Amino acid sequence: MNVIASYLILAAILFCIGLYGALTKRHAIIVLLSVELMLNAVNLNLVAFSRWGIVPNLTGQIFSLFNMTIAAAEVGVGIAILIAYYRSRGSSNVRDMNSLKR
Amino acid sequence: MERLQSSDLIYLAPELTLVISAIVISVLDLFLPKRVNRDLIGWLSLLGIIVSAGWVAMYSIPLINGDGAQLVSLLGGSYRIDNFANVLKLIMLGGAALIIFMSIGTVKEREIPHRGEFYYLLLPALLGAMIMASSTEMITLYVGLELLSITTYILVAIRKSQAESSEGAFKYLVTGSIASAFILYGMSFLYGMTGTTQLGAIRQLLNDPQFYPLIYVSYILMIAGFAFKVAAAPFHTWAPDVYQGAATPVTAFLATISKAAGFAILFRVVYNAFYGLGTQTIHKDFFFILMLLAAIAMILGNFMALKEKNVKRLMAYSGVANAGYLLVPIMNDPYFAESSMHYSMFSEFVYYLIAYVLMNIGMFAAILIVTGETRSEEMSAFAGLYYRAPGRAIAIILIVLSLAGIPVTGGFFGKFYILFGTVQSQMYWLAAVMIITSVVSYYYYFSIIRQMFMRSSFQASELAKGIPLSAVLWICAILGVVIGIVPQWIIGYIDSIFQYGFDLFG
Repeated sequence: MNVIASYLILAAILFCIGLYGALTKRHAIIVLLSVELMLNAVNLNLVAFSRWGIVPNLTGQIFSLFNMTIAAAEVGVGIAILIAYYRSRGSSNVRDMNSLKR
Repeated sequence: MERLQSSDLIYLAPELTLVISAIVISVLDLFLPKRVNRDLIGWLSLLGIIVSAGWVAMYSIPLINGDGAQLVSLLGGSYRIDNFANVLKLIMLGGAALIIFMSIGTVKEREIPHRGEFYYLLLPALLGAMIMASSTEMITLYVGLELLSITTYILVAIRKSQAESSEGAFKYLVTGSIASAFILYGMSFLYGMTGTTQLGAIRQLLNDPQFYPLIYVSYILMIAGFAFKVAAAPFHTWAPDVYQGAATPVTAFLATISKAAGFAILFRVVYNAFYGLGTQTIHKDFFFILMLLAAIAMILGNFMALKEKNVKRLMAYSGVANAGYLLVPIMNDPYFAESSMHYSMFSEFVYYLIAYVLMNIGMFAAILIVTGETRSEEMSAFAGLYYRAPGRAIAIILIVLSLAGIPVTGGFFGKFYILFGTVQSQMYWLAAVMIITSVVSYYYYFSIIRQMFMRSSFQASELAKGIPLSAVLWICAILGVVIGIVPQWIIGYIDSIFQYGFDLFG
């Protein structure tokens, strides 16, 4: 049980770092990276549970494979949107994204 | 684990129809010469949706007639075709059909450069929503959720040339991904405690006192994520910006289908995985969290809408408030109040969802009409509409009355039944919040009507024309009134086909 606890704590720390980065960082790419960090924390959790959990089985690893695929697609779309934004505004600073506040 | 047999594929016909039409139409769009009007793609997408809805309706018939013995459960129980899923799928397909129909001829080349893409991207988004309604397993559910989300990120960004559009899309993407991460983090704990991803099995395995603290963590994480997806306050901050940045038909899609899909998984997860856990206290805590969420959404949504001048942002806040109303029936359940039993919560939910979808699509059709050529989305776009186009103004009034919840409209009876349910389940303070916030909402809904009658139209823009657009406006207005005239039929009908224990817990 101690083995799994260390994995879970690491995943929780990663998740919190990711959340902090996604909410505070200025550069849009770093925001996307932080979101990735959150998703990878989840993967770590799943894989840890699938190896050391109460009921160890392969489902967690399969779940994390699905997560990786989807996260890749998500960030791909994110980068594409960011490029479109950069073309029209010439900035990738999140603080500049305030034209929608009336 | 069962394998997917080829004979099972027939049960996936609605979904497969959408997949095939999305692929065929996207290839067709590539090879059609530029001079061909892209409205053709719109009509083909509409056809795909109608065929898919036909399949769903066909599969609902044996489920309605039989005693549920013919329930189809595929892939080792991870994909269920039951009445719950079929009813919600029909609502989503109908809403999407109306949205595509109203966009044909209205969406201009100048606004959305690749109109073909707009039409066929709605199909995978709809597919994701349908998978969410049918899935009872966490991986399937998550894949459906992300299929819907990623496609809608692209749809929001589809007006590439406008910075507002990509700005809204980026905000939507970041908040949406954070919400997904929250949901997944919650799911990973559920998996860790039980070793399975089947929602039904999770509920049986979770009943172990050593898990109780972790259950709270996982539940709160998941509910926070779902609240993002349905735009319930305090997780609603993305909604106004995204609604304003997106093209109006896309906004209509986000406000109706995307929200309905969010509620579908909320229902599934709350009832399939978390219902009646352990002692009554945990169960009550869980439902109290939902009640709190609903109350905050109603209060914040309605009060924030008061000072809004942009119609689309106003509709976003109205959507937040409506998410609150729609959350209420989820906890009007027989377990919660010991003294009285309340079994019709699902039909109340469905009835209000139908009314909500109709009035929102109608309202966005109205916004498409008044914004017309100038694309001014201020409230003043409605100014003097009654004197310019009396017929359409009357239809818009009917829709606004339904939104506000004035008697003999669908919106009124939807709220009325939900309110009745809260009183029956003895959640009096929630009922009070509902009534007060509904009264507050009259102010901003009626300011639209006030604009139509009392302001002169000196800066009036050209109204958007198009038979499909006016047709959708009238369909929504008239259906909104019709379901208000015969509410018992719909509620009774859904009650008769929906078996509480079977459809949600099976």
